[in-house]
Amino acid sequence: MPVIRMTDVCKRFGDAVAADRLNLEVEDGEYLCILGPTGAGKTTAMRMICGLTLPDSGTISFDGEDVTELETAKRGATMLSQQYSLFPHMSVMDNIMFGPMIKEWDPEDSKKIAANLLHMVHLESRSKERPTHLSGGQQQRVALARAMASGSRILLLDEPLRALDARLRLELRKDLKSMVKSMGLTAVHVTHDQDEALEMADRIAVIRNGRILQVGTPREVFDTPATPFVANFVGRSNVITGKVSSREGDTISVDCGPVTVTAMDPVHGIGDDVVVAVKIGNTRISKKEEGFFSGRIERILYEGVSITVEIAVEGLGLISSKLPNRKFDDYSEGDEVSVRWMPSAASVFDIPECGLEEELRVE
Amino acid sequence: MPKIKLEHVVMRFGTVTAARDINVTINSGEYVTILGPSGCGKTTLIKMISGILHPTEGRVLIDGADVTDVPIEDRDVGYVFQNIALFPHMDLKDNVGYGPRVRDMSREETDAVAEEYLSLVRMLDRSGYLPSELSGGEQQKVAIARALASGSKVIMLDEPLSALDARVRVELRYDIRRLVKKLGITVLHVTHDQEEAMSVSDRIILMRKGTIHETGTPLEIYRDPKSIFAAYFIGETNLIECTVVKRTKKGNTQVVLRDGSVTRVAGIRFEVGDPVVLSVRPEHVYTANDGIRAVVRDVVFMGTYWRVRTEADSQDLIDYNISADTDTPSKGDVVYLVFNKKAARLFARPIQGLQEEIVLE
Repeated sequence: MPVIRMTDVCKRFGDAVAADRLNLEVEDGEYLCILGPTGAGKTTAMRMICGLTLPDSGTISFDGEDVTELETAKRGATMLSQQYSLFPHMSVMDNIMFGPMIKEWDPEDSKKIAANLLHMVHLESRSKERPTHLSGGQQQRVALARAMASGSRILLLDEPLRALDARLRLELRKDLKSMVKSMGLTAVHVTHDQDEALEMADRIAVIRNGRILQVGTPREVFDTPATPFVANFVGRSNVITGKVSSREGDTISVDCGPVTVTAMDPVHGIGDDVVVAVKIGNTRISKKEEGFFSGRIERILYEGVSITVEIAVEGLGLISSKLPNRKFDDYSEGDEVSVRWMPSAASVFDIPECGLEEELRVE
Repeated sequence: MPKIKLEHVVMRFGTVTAARDINVTINSGEYVTILGPSGCGKTTLIKMISGILHPTEGRVLIDGADVTDVPIEDRDVGYVFQNIALFPHMDLKDNVGYGPRVRDMSREETDAVAEEYLSLVRMLDRSGYLPSELSGGEQQKVAIARALASGSKVIMLDEPLSALDARVRVELRYDIRRLVKKLGITVLHVTHDQEEAMSVSDRIILMRKGTIHETGTPLEIYRDPKSIFAAYFIGETNLIECTVVKRTKKGNTQVVLRDGSVTRVAGIRFEVGDPVVLSVRPEHVYTANDGIRAVVRDVVFMGTYWRVRTEADSQDLIDYNISADTDTPSKGDVVYLVFNKKAARLFARPIQGLQEEIVLE
């Protein structure tokens, strides 16, 4: 039985739809990320799970029991909001120990847990200080440790890493998840950061305009996106439109202006207008082999573990290819290269009703 | 001629020193990012260049002229803040035209300039909108247009993307670079995000504790960092404490890990017996039939690759990457790891300990 279940949950604020028939199940011990752009309804979903916002319709249940109208304190879930409110008169350590203290846990165990949590958030040396002496990022980490020590089985985290420096965020991604797992907690983590969701989640729920577009493992969401938006939001994609011109088994050819590309797709028929999306990391370039089309390298960006090559292609505009950094010396700006991909790496969709540009908007 | 030069610049706030003896030169048309952890003094640096702060000691030169005592309004340096600061009651055209207008340009000229810069950031079709009608990323584009419209050839970007969604940040950083390169603007861009710094800069200045820690192109700093901190802060790396046991005839250094297993790194900079730290990035660690024995602790999907997290018998945590389309090991599997010895680097082991060396605050 899922620990948390949302069934047909709707919520409007005036004209704005924050939740449009949300259906979501979170399993026991699962780390689920709700991923979406600003204004997608992520925080509203979280607040409804927590009981801070009442849905207009639909039900929310914990362990099979309807909690839709139950007050927050009785739900047994702890929410870490973007505005963390620490007790200003208590030390960092006492803030973290607050939950265990009022729940009357064994003091020795509590201390051990608090020490581990302080280590996780890189604040061992600040345990005796007052929160007001800490930076915003440090306060957020204390709030995170306090939420984890609250004794709740369910942890609701609203952008828990947002206020932190990029480098520290990377460290905390792995530490936070392993700590949640080792304490056996169920976590729902709201984020706008695709990389964070990919790296941390057991499953990702992609949300936009109050609607869940797709729920799946990071790999499913990345490799088999449900919509063009998901294709381009979770890892960048090259997205082009065209018309299906032929089919051979499961592989279709799509005419896109002056070029023809192929893609694996069992659904669309000859003559259909379609969108083809290919992750930039699955877009290969070559100086020797034939590709679907060719273009001129306009720019090469060295980004560390990978490089991004931007290719100007006549009739298509800029096409990007993300390659391992060892390929950096193989290409120069101005080079003519051919572009191809494995047909199975491409996703094919109907033309979105709202238009492609609107569909791909990331904010 | 260098566009901007800082000579022996010091900035103290009471007992806190935010900048200690900074010497740096920025060339005309260069895109430089100032990267570092919170509180390293990176914002202080650009505030001194723009004239918001007056340095305690040292000189600031722009185009060869000493501007240390020149007030902010006479410096001709654009500044874009992290928190978008557009005038909420003015439409976009008036926001962007604000600089020209206060310089007593005619209404017609002002409008022409505003439209030109709005079109450069591809916002011309919304020139009559109010800032509140735009998304965060769009507002920041307008803020950049406004900073450039006053005609400055130098612009300071103070964490311009930090307040935006991750995906918007990625789009916008490329847009900004394209724009300023097209206009030949000299840019100093402050960020704590190493990925952002890598992808937009001609050169990165890595700061720490009020000093310039290291500078170089993204490629130089990533491939050949001069310090453990740079290796750790810019990109991800495995840091392994070990000791030099041999300098081979082929020009390699052989080191021993804490459990006695050995590996080699190209080059011979250290003596036998020296305590060192080996840095090797996850993409330069491979599995083989023989090598450093490690147990797989986690396998994480990263999009275009898998990140395998292992714990070696030496208790070092060693990560490596494998291509997304290959088979992954399972948790608990034993693997044998080898390093690309040309890509690995050795550093002297810091006296204060490795953890202290890479502390982020």
